[in-house]
Amino acid sequence: MDLIQLLAPIIILELILAIVGVIAWFKTENTNGPRWLWLLIIIFITILGPILFFIIGRRQ
Amino acid sequence: MQWLTIYKKEMLEYWRNFSWVWVPVVFILLAIMDPLTTYYMPIILDKVGGLPDGAVIELPQMAATDVLMMSLSEFSSIGVIIIVAITMGIIAGERKSGVVELVLVKPVRYANYISSKWAAKLTLILVSYTIALLTSWYYVSILFEEIALLAFVQTLSFYALWLILVVTITIFYNTLLKTPGLVGALSVGTIIGMTAINAIFSHKLTWFPNNLSSYIRQLLHTGEIPTALWGTSFVTISLIVALLFLSFYTFQKKELA
Amino acid sequence: MFNIHNLTKKFDGTAVVKDVSFSLSPGNCVALLGANGAGKTTTLRMLSGLLKPTSGKIEFEGMRPGADIREHIGYLPQYPIFHNWMTGKEFLVYVGQLANLTKANAKEQADYYLERVGILEAKNQRIGKYSGGMKQRLGIAQAMIHRPQMIMLDEPVSSLDPIGRREVLTLMEELKQQTTILFSTHILSDAEEISDSLLLMHQGEIVESGSLVELRDKHQSAKINIAFKGLNEEFIPNLEAISDVSDVIIDKNELICIVKDLEKARQSILAQANTENWPLTKFEVSQTSLEELFMKVVQN
Repeated sequence: MDLIQLLAPIIILELILAIVGVIAWFKTENTNGPRWLWLLIIIFITILGPILFFIIGRRQ
Repeated sequence: MQWLTIYKKEMLEYWRNFSWVWVPVVFILLAIMDPLTTYYMPIILDKVGGLPDGAVIELPQMAATDVLMMSLSEFSSIGVIIIVAITMGIIAGERKSGVVELVLVKPVRYANYISSKWAAKLTLILVSYTIALLTSWYYVSILFEEIALLAFVQTLSFYALWLILVVTITIFYNTLLKTPGLVGALSVGTIIGMTAINAIFSHKLTWFPNNLSSYIRQLLHTGEIPTALWGTSFVTISLIVALLFLSFYTFQKKELA
Repeated sequence: MFNIHNLTKKFDGTAVVKDVSFSLSPGNCVALLGANGAGKTTTLRMLSGLLKPTSGKIEFEGMRPGADIREHIGYLPQYPIFHNWMTGKEFLVYVGQLANLTKANAKEQADYYLERVGILEAKNQRIGKYSGGMKQRLGIAQAMIHRPQMIMLDEPVSSLDPIGRREVLTLMEELKQQTTILFSTHILSDAEEISDSLLLMHQGEIVESGSLVELRDKHQSAKINIAFKGLNEEFIPNLEAISDVSDVIIDKNELICIVKDLEKARQSILAQANTENWPLTKFEVSQTSLEELFMKVVQN
């Protein structure tokens, strides 16, 4: 088995997380802090970025 | 009926705010990270390089049960923080925003309001956790060696008690305070405090909930449920029930202003 | 049907509502009138069960002992907050079911009231997209959804623009036929427009109450506003000398004569003005209004 097999499931899950994060971002009108910044956070900080957005990024 | 109405509304909310996607995904990542990186460590070291030619990497062979325990320990740290973070606003947030006013002017029983929210959050968390641990079990089985189904189910169930306790502690603080951030901080603080107490008095408090993990480790090693695990489970369940009832009580006493 | 006895609420030892007692009869529309900070919201929140009274009793006639008072009332807070991710209809069905309606019944009622308050076309929109007026109307719908015997509205129109205000007042006028309404306001004209009776609240106490008619009778007296070409003040002694004038008050550009008998006073003043050839520029008969009563209470 190769390294790619290690990375494949993790990469897929990361991608799902980022995509769902972006979809949620599109649907969120009010964010805590600048909206565009959150998009950057979701896309560029893997795993942690979308999690942070889901937990503290959205306002009610 | 009323209970189910609130439960269903919470479930709908978890779909609409994508909790049903991201929580399972994050939990699976947590659970499979360790089995995968442990197995592939030699390859990673090789790819990263820096070792002189001909050097033989000798890493101790990990037992499958130890690897599964590594998944659980991720839940005990990062998992707990995520669980607290997604639970800290469940009631406090509604009180802070004011939605709770429109709910509680209807003849809603306070116990229904709290227990249905508790059950809904547990559904989200326990389903995600079960999927995640199943994935971890699968990877451990193909990369290391098989762990018997029975031992796995026992591990899954006993450890779930710890997660239920974490949710219940957070719900309890929710009924006490209006600020989700404060609820989160106190919940995490309480859990850390419990760990500290356990470390100091570990010889005396054999049935303390924080010992669940170490008894589960024993269970995985020996294949038998240690007697102390039953006692600890009993204490944990009692604590969960007591905290839940205490939550009903404090919420009733509290002014909802 | 609703009896409130000696209701008191203290926050940290300071009484915000003091010894308030009143009764509401079915089909009444009652305004709880008072300046900001008079204790109106606290009173309504106690009646709705959101706050616990420090002392006093709230009784609802015909209620089983130990039953939940919230089954019989609907409440709209001053700033209603909804779950913004729900649609208007979903929210109504949700709170309807919380009020023990069956799901089918809750849906039926939701549609009925969405139409009644005029937001039926927005029923499947997320509440987050609603305007302030729409939210206020949704708020009234949620208060009515379980057909309570009484609804309480906290400043239902004060945050609305003139058009929204008019619409909500009209709606309340219609709902009066169906249920008892208790609403708070700090604006007398709103109270006068739709309520049958008033509870005037000042510094946590009910200082005056009664039907609009009663209060007008009690506090209104006739007055005649007069202005002259030249100095008004010169004519004060002449006016005071007239037997039916009980008091003369100097206002900005006129003199206000409080009179005992309007008919007699008018004749005497006009007769004298005629014989002495007063340079009258204004002669106006009117009444002291509730506004003046309200101001008098609030300023004391």
